[in-house]
Amino acid sequence: MDSQMNELYGNNGPKQVHFSPYAFNGGTVLAVAGEDFAVVASDTRLSEGFSIHSRDTPKTYKLSDKTVLGSCGFHGDVLTLTKVIGARLKMFEHSHNKKMSTSSIAAMLSTMLYYKRFFPYYVYNIIGGIDDEGKGCVYSFDPVGSYEREAYRAGGSASSMLQPLLDNQIGFKNQEGATVVPLSKEKAVALVKDVFISAAERDIYTGDAIIVQVVTKDGVKTEQFPLRKD
Amino acid sequence: MTERYSFSLTTFSPSGKLVQIEYALAAVSAGAPSVGIKALNGVVLATEKKQKSILYDDQSIHKIDYITKNIGMVYSGMGPDYRVLLTRARKLAQTYYLTYQEQIPTAQLVQRVATVMQEFTQSGGVRPFGVSLLVAGWDEDEERPYLYQCDPSGAYFAWKATAMGKNHINGKTFLEKRYSEKLELEDAVHTSILTLKESFEGQMTEDNIEIGICNQDGFRRLAPSEIKDYLASVS
Repeated sequence: MDSQMNELYGNNGPKQVHFSPYAFNGGTVLAVAGEDFAVVASDTRLSEGFSIHSRDTPKTYKLSDKTVLGSCGFHGDVLTLTKVIGARLKMFEHSHNKKMSTSSIAAMLSTMLYYKRFFPYYVYNIIGGIDDEGKGCVYSFDPVGSYEREAYRAGGSASSMLQPLLDNQIGFKNQEGATVVPLSKEKAVALVKDVFISAAERDIYTGDAIIVQVVTKDGVKTEQFPLRKD
Repeated sequence: MTERYSFSLTTFSPSGKLVQIEYALAAVSAGAPSVGIKALNGVVLATEKKQKSILYDDQSIHKIDYITKNIGMVYSGMGPDYRVLLTRARKLAQTYYLTYQEQIPTAQLVQRVATVMQEFTQSGGVRPFGVSLLVAGWDEDEERPYLYQCDPSGAYFAWKATAMGKNHINGKTFLEKRYSEKLELEDAVHTSILTLKESFEGQMTEDNIEIGICNQDGFRRLAPSEIKDYLASVS
């Protein structure tokens, strides 16, 4: 087939044009759960190919005082998904007279994603928040809704660089004779900053700035730090 | 496939009534009496279950049944219509759990069931359900009991205590006198038996009434032996 075309036409044969409904807009998200807090962070760069669309597009979205969502992948789907989630959250509040718990938001998101199993949202989601017992929790998703509660998770373009680093520093994996120390809020934020700085060094799609959302029972605090712009 | 009517069979009369719903309520009022009472620490549902012949196997089929671990239901009116709504309610509860990974709150379940009943007063080619439902639930989050009634029209009401079916007016009058905010579940069971007794013809036994209770341990139907003990303390 391909070789036959090449024989006849060389490198300038007839080409079929494909329209892709998806684009890859880059970006990295990260969430870490502590004893009574959760940290959700993302970079703020929006790119496509070798171009930068924006240096100031955060990929974290506050869903409630106890829950923050980080989403990256195809930004068009990210925007639609966050809008629909926001609407569903409001509808729940109207009919139930109470806010949705983090675990329920996670379960609902899973069904929303699987609903589009045959034309998926091209989005990698990570939810970070406080559970019903006041403990920090992280839920990570695949594009079609498979989800799991974890202690920490990196998603997006630099995820394969960040995840092993988190396994080592937060999970104390692959360390000999390491003492397992519970993670404090300050240490978690410092760690998240450092890993993003490392990711920006090597991943072209990650950079510009990092937004860190710290979720506790008292609400969500936002901090922003600059990253490499190249 | 069967053709569907595109027009509703439940239409307005000149006086502004939906007569089909009135007739459905008449079917309910002709049905066996049922009673629900909310106590401080739970809810009780009770109903008369008179069988027409001694040959009936009365412990095989139940009028009082669970929808979820924490919510139960009883009816007055047409048994087959009740079965359909019971199945629907169970499915609605599980669908909620699938989406939110949480047990459905009683109020949410009632609102959804009532919506089904309303749809049957407006959809094409169907008739309203010939039952009124009493839904008893315990919400784990808020740690409190709930008692709701659902009517054929789709209207629903939250009650502290109520009676449905034959003699329901006398039943409610009786409850108005006997009800107190400080009732414990044990007393409420006792009171529900007395309420049923008001309209009972003949001897009340553990086989011709059914009682269900709903508290922090969830919803369950009382065994005939337990009912027998309560009846002994009544007479």
